[in-house]
Amino acid sequence: MTETHDTIWQQFEAEKATAAGTKELETLRVKYLGKKGLVTELLKGLGKLPAEERKAAGERINALKNRIAEVLDADLSKVQAAEEEARVKSERPDPTLPGTLPRPGTIHPVTQVALEVTRIFQSMGFFMADGPEIEDEYYNFEALNVPKHHPARDMQDTFYLENGQVLRTQTSPVQIRVMETMQPPLKMIGLGKVFRKDSDITHSPMFTQMEGLVVDENVSLADLKGTLNMFTEAMFGKRPTRFRPSFFPFTEPSAEMDIQCVFCSGKGCKVCKGSGWMEVLGCGMVNPRVFEAVKYDTEKYTGFAFGMGIERIAMQRYGINDIRLLYGSDIRFLRQF
Amino acid sequence: MKILLSWLRDYIDIQVTPEQIADALQMAGIEVESIHQPGKGLSKVVVGQILTRGPHPNADKLSICTVNVGAADPLKIVCGAPNCDAGNKVPVAMIGASLPTGFEIRKAKIRGEESFGMMCSRRELGISDEHEGLWLLPPEANIGEDIVKAAGMDDVIFEISITPNRGDALSHLGIARELSAIFNLPLHREGLAGHAGEGDVSSQTSVTIEAPDLCPRYGARIVRNVRVGPSPRWMKDRLEKVGLRAINNVVDVTNYILMDIGHPMHAFDLDRLEENRIVVRRASEGEKIRTLDGTDRKLTSEMLVIADAAQPVAIAGVMGGFNTMVTDATSSILLEAAVFDPISVRKTSKQLALMSDSSYRFERGTNIDNVPIALNEAARLLGEIAGGKAAAGIVDAYPAPAPLKRLMLRTRRTCRLIGVDLKPQQIETLLLRLKFEVTREGETLWVGVPPYRHDIEQEADLIEEVARLYGYNNIPAKLPAISAAPRLETPLQALTKRIRDHLTSLGLHETMTYSFIPAATPAELAEGEPLKLQNPLSEELAVMRTGLLSGMIDAVKRNVMADEYDLPLFEMGRVFHRGAGGLSQEFDRLCIGLCGSANASDWHRSREPNDLYRLKGLVTTIGHLAGQQIQFKPGTSPALHPSCQFQVLVGNKPAGILGQINPKWLDNRKLPREIFFAEIDIGLIASLPRPMPRFKAIPEFPAIRRDLALLLPVTIQHDQVIGIVKAEAGPLLEDVRLFDVYQGKGLEPGRRSLAFSLTFRSPERTLTEEDVQPRIDAVVAKIGRDLDGRLRDK
Repeated sequence: MTETHDTIWQQFEAEKATAAGTKELETLRVKYLGKKGLVTELLKGLGKLPAEERKAAGERINALKNRIAEVLDADLSKVQAAEEEARVKSERPDPTLPGTLPRPGTIHPVTQVALEVTRIFQSMGFFMADGPEIEDEYYNFEALNVPKHHPARDMQDTFYLENGQVLRTQTSPVQIRVMETMQPPLKMIGLGKVFRKDSDITHSPMFTQMEGLVVDENVSLADLKGTLNMFTEAMFGKRPTRFRPSFFPFTEPSAEMDIQCVFCSGKGCKVCKGSGWMEVLGCGMVNPRVFEAVKYDTEKYTGFAFGMGIERIAMQRYGINDIRLLYGSDIRFLRQF
Repeated sequence: MKILLSWLRDYIDIQVTPEQIADALQMAGIEVESIHQPGKGLSKVVVGQILTRGPHPNADKLSICTVNVGAADPLKIVCGAPNCDAGNKVPVAMIGASLPTGFEIRKAKIRGEESFGMMCSRRELGISDEHEGLWLLPPEANIGEDIVKAAGMDDVIFEISITPNRGDALSHLGIARELSAIFNLPLHREGLAGHAGEGDVSSQTSVTIEAPDLCPRYGARIVRNVRVGPSPRWMKDRLEKVGLRAINNVVDVTNYILMDIGHPMHAFDLDRLEENRIVVRRASEGEKIRTLDGTDRKLTSEMLVIADAAQPVAIAGVMGGFNTMVTDATSSILLEAAVFDPISVRKTSKQLALMSDSSYRFERGTNIDNVPIALNEAARLLGEIAGGKAAAGIVDAYPAPAPLKRLMLRTRRTCRLIGVDLKPQQIETLLLRLKFEVTREGETLWVGVPPYRHDIEQEADLIEEVARLYGYNNIPAKLPAISAAPRLETPLQALTKRIRDHLTSLGLHETMTYSFIPAATPAELAEGEPLKLQNPLSEELAVMRTGLLSGMIDAVKRNVMADEYDLPLFEMGRVFHRGAGGLSQEFDRLCIGLCGSANASDWHRSREPNDLYRLKGLVTTIGHLAGQQIQFKPGTSPALHPSCQFQVLVGNKPAGILGQINPKWLDNRKLPREIFFAEIDIGLIASLPRPMPRFKAIPEFPAIRRDLALLLPVTIQHDQVIGIVKAEAGPLLEDVRLFDVYQGKGLEPGRRSLAFSLTFRSPERTLTEEDVQPRIDAVVAKIGRDLDGRLRDK
């Protein structure tokens, strides 16, 4: 019996020495330990032995079985590790083949700028208000201290509807609507489309404006400067700014805010027409007449307001030379942003 | 408006550079658009006189001249201009001269003849674009003098833009006043004329103001013996440099006063005024006048006219009449200086579509105190340049002299609003520099406003004056300490952002189109009668959009025409309907336009068409963003394909449309039939209450999945099958999902196969086949009975 065991073991060792891969090792396992394997057959033969020999023979066969299994397992894990290493090494994806999701679409350049401006003011505690795009003359003009037949109306050539309403020429009516329903302190912005009867490569009959308003006790021109400086720094980077007196019927004092030209850093270039400055927004202290229109106490409250055109910033930022491209829906244009 | 530095110097001794002047005006609120210095870049060009002109031996069109430039010997110059005649005085660029174009003059040989310089046209000196031959200088020009000085080209011309509130700054005097305040320099006006003359004016004319509400003051002076002719050089020069055409000495004088002190004037031919007198009155309805420009105009009873005893002779403040204008035959003149109501002038000018330098200034307010000054100065100038003899005195109809406007200015409030600590005395000083009258009572100032400052009406206006003269840039910047309550974005604002991010991440591009659309937009594309513009830019932008669809159809078409077929576009924006009382009612919409495929460049997967069901998927997911279940029903919108379209509903309310392009709009063979649109009301979707999700326990027991391929008549809708599956499969059905639709080869006509995957699960135990099979049988049986369907054969 023992001779048989030794023969089997030697045969196993000899065959194992030539087994190179997982597959051969698995074949060996079947040959020796499988259902009809050499060792299994020995175990099956135990029944033929006299009862008193069975136990010892069984132990010997099992020892042989375990020995073979151990050797096989050890070799197998070695070979598998080597094979895994080789496989991993052989995998070579092409990093330049395109990914298989469609390209994301694009957000309109005007929206992108508007979102950025909005984010800055929202982070400064301003809330966003909405208002109608078609307004009554009262909200678009009278409440903002632009009486009928005043030359200030020439500043904004207005579209009228046949029903007597106007397409708002500015987002400032939103201020009036907010103040009619809320009491100070308040910090709001309004964003939306406005309309003026004007059309060439830098003027569109429809464009986008952002409006802001701050009202409280003791708000001053110094606060206006600080707030708007903080905005332009976040939007355009840290660079000099200046405030020039100007005229808007709904603010008094009024100002235009310039920043140092972002293209030439003040040296003078085509974009800033050699001045070294770029106009970014109009602003001023709310005219007491506007507060009177919304029944705020003009002695108690002061405030400042500002407004800017989004298209102009977008055009400067992206180098767009014709405003009409923004409203042309040309996908070759839209895809670029 | 053009302003000359030399003219400003009539009023103020200002020595800083033109750039410093421009900058100072800018920072005081007067916008300087450009500075023009005509003499800049010009050197070694002098006045010369042509002594002789002879032919060039080698060229017919050239002449050889000798020119006296004030040096010992005359210069020999070859010239091609036709007007290089002997005796003419012309600009001569000598050897070494440089011209504004950068051109340098050197000794040259022209067709074999030596030339020692060049005689110049205005164009070559950079002051005109005309090809007019040599610039002929006036006979009194000094030979040898530098042309820059001789021709007044050492001047500086500022192009200035004045905001509508500052009518007082629309003149040289007005700008000089600003500079005097900014630089704290005295303002001087020398030699103001009086109203002396021969004979009493009041016996020669009269002024009757019948409409004092529209004309608070009307002054007239009479000048006789006038010889109408060209103005002298100095006056023509000034007028031309500010952009006015010299006409004759009388008209030029009135224009000169306009540019000088900002007061519009008019000159009538006195002999043509019926009864030689003036009546200021409203026109009678339908009354007519022929204006200076030769146009006949019909007036209304709201318009103010200047009339003689019989008829209108001028439209007040707007334009004079043709019949009484000054002509070469005129010798007696009635000069008008008056003040008219700004609103009345503006209305009249708008109604007649007639704008003039006069109406522009009257609309913005003039200085009522300037009436006698303008008349006297004009009379003096007419005496000086036209030989006129003025009658003594002014007829000055000024029924109710305006009192000085006085305003209170609280210095504390001033400081509070500006954010700078200023002493009352500092504020007073600043106001005095601006020619306000100031009386100080402790911390309160009483401020008298000059009659030309119509923009100063309230305390805030004075505070602006203080701030701008103090200098906005001297005000510190600080941050307001405000504790306004936080307010979140509205649901619509939040949804709009999410939709934009969602659709762009799926490859769609955001677009924006005009809110106004063509008047000729087909009725099928309009939701009701659109609101119309009274004054559109064009017929293409004439009515307000009632929906976004027509703009999107247009956008898709234009892109296809440019050979761009793969189009995933969307737009969000307002649309406008006729609401109560014909007034606008606004809605917030989303429109999607799809065409071509979603992944044309994808090497890995087959092409995914941008089709009806992809669009449905997009719209469905937008509902999910808002927590809403979107439903779809067969649609009936005339805008879309008659059958391939759905109505979109949210919470049983109509919320939009979705479908294929109506073949009617395919007006070009390039356009594919497979273009799809959806338009939904995101305002409505955002307004619905958002259901709060309720947590359900994660399942513990395994599910059983069964697939079911059913053969059904094509008329049976997917939802009908789902309804039966859900009803018959019982409470253990966890999910049912369509995974295949097939119609065509191998199936009998009129039928299609829908394949569903059903998932059964119990929260309490592991299910067995015995739990599921009876339910499947029940589903199949019910579908056989109700929908004429059966299991598809394997």
